[in-house]
Amino acid sequence: MSKKHIFPILLAICAALYPVLSDDRYIMNILIMILLYATIASGWNILGGYGGQLSLGHALFFGLGAYTSTLLYLNFGLSPWVGMIIAVIVCIIAGMLIGIPTFKLRGPYFTLGTIAFAEVIRHVTLYWRDLTNGSMGLNIKYEPSFAAMIFKEYEYYYWLILGLLVLTTLLVHWIDRNKMGYYLKAIREDEDAAETLGINTSKYKMLAMMISTGITGLAGVFYAQFNLFFEPESVFHMNISTEIALIAIIGGAGTVYGPILGAFIIIPLNEILRASFPDIHGMNYFVYGILLIVIVILTPNGLLPIITKWWDKIFRKKVSKTKGVTKYDLESQ
Amino acid sequence: MLKIEQINLSYGEIQVLWDMSLQIPEGQIVALLGANSAGKSSTINAISGIEKISSGRITFQGKDISKMAPHEIVELGVIQVPEGRKLFNFMTIEENLLLGAYSKHARKDIKKNIRRVYDMFPILEERKDQLAGDMSGGQQQMCAIGRGLMSNPKLLIIDELSLGLAPILVQELLRTLTTIKDEGITIMLVEQNVKQSLAISNYAYVLENGRVAIQGDAAQLTEDPHLKKAYLGM
Repeated sequence: MSKKHIFPILLAICAALYPVLSDDRYIMNILIMILLYATIASGWNILGGYGGQLSLGHALFFGLGAYTSTLLYLNFGLSPWVGMIIAVIVCIIAGMLIGIPTFKLRGPYFTLGTIAFAEVIRHVTLYWRDLTNGSMGLNIKYEPSFAAMIFKEYEYYYWLILGLLVLTTLLVHWIDRNKMGYYLKAIREDEDAAETLGINTSKYKMLAMMISTGITGLAGVFYAQFNLFFEPESVFHMNISTEIALIAIIGGAGTVYGPILGAFIIIPLNEILRASFPDIHGMNYFVYGILLIVIVILTPNGLLPIITKWWDKIFRKKVSKTKGVTKYDLESQ
Repeated sequence: MLKIEQINLSYGEIQVLWDMSLQIPEGQIVALLGANSAGKSSTINAISGIEKISSGRITFQGKDISKMAPHEIVELGVIQVPEGRKLFNFMTIEENLLLGAYSKHARKDIKKNIRRVYDMFPILEERKDQLAGDMSGGQQQMCAIGRGLMSNPKLLIIDELSLGLAPILVQELLRTLTTIKDEGITIMLVEQNVKQSLAISNYAYVLENGRVAIQGDAAQLTEDPHLKKAYLGM
């Protein structure tokens, strides 16, 4: 285990111990939302950050995950633990179906394509009332049990989403250090050049889409079980897609820990703004916009690279010439 | 080795290649010459599968590659060194070279090929841990050729080798291409620099407005009056 992994591991251990030390439900609630958005943004990061495919329709998979497991639970009594697996499969299939036409588009056209699909599904959910209960949303009865993934104590939700984030981060870390990460970065930098090298760009973009949508769907299931109520606007809305992308970009898209940092900035900021300006609707988005402009001008790669640089300076380490990219050995494959 | 038979290629309604035919025999350097917008890059993008032809046929070692995906064509050993180098600037020189060994048939020869590249361009070994974006234009071109060689090419297509480079450096790189040819790799050299390209080529095609205007042995073409007037300023 290298030295640079010690800090994130210690941080994860401290985070896991937090519920033992404090029982403040308000703080715990905010922390759960931070961890939830960090997980979704980390999933988005695989496609958007590493692969350079700027999706602004990821709320589609968040909502799809929530609706799939909840409908299975409400209509067939299927445990959300099983529903989770089905939701991931549904989201992966949906991701593939969306990827087939949209991956033919590049740049802003791809982004517009993802928005269009998300909006279509949002409207279908709103108007297919027989199945989804339309704008009335879905209510899950509060009957705490492990099988129903409904807990009396908040800390179980906390540990569950923390575990999901740790697993997602490990997966992103593996991708970052493996050939898939290199190929995705190559596609992000120049898709034509990647093709001339023989990289199967369609395959890797699709793989990134599948992993990314699967994680987002999983997070959707957690959200449904945590909130016990949701409706189309609260899970499919474009604001959620924008927020997911913003978190990753502000923290540092295409880095392992950037989306986590982004979530720790954006979610508390959201809470502060909502509490400080209760009468001004959309104040948070106004501030996000300003924040994004400032960050794009000052540090286009997000905040994490700057923090890493400061960290290296403080501890007098030599700054890596490769900007965090490590050498991989194709021979080992 | 490579045969192009009456291909046509259009971008939307604009046709850029018109019934083009050419051949590249094994073990030779064949130059594809012409001014800007003559159709040179479109031709090699069609060979590499990046652009799909609307009609005609492209075969490599007898196999029809017209409808193949770019990665399948690379797997056969047709490698393009793209115009403008297109290195990945956030990666080191060595990482860029390793990325060239993506294809299945190239992976087994990584050690041998990277040694060959370093022997050919010693500066790359000296600066292997440096970011590609921090290298000079000439060193970047060496890296781009090296990355192409890492793919175990049978046919190496080099697009605009001389672009933005000092003439003396171009001469040096062209000499290296002769060495690569002597190792048994067929080369298709796509260039605007007619004089220097003809000097190392066996055969050449001159494109004008998406059509082959002139073709012949490189030595003979240097004496062609049209070519002399239009491209050599003589």
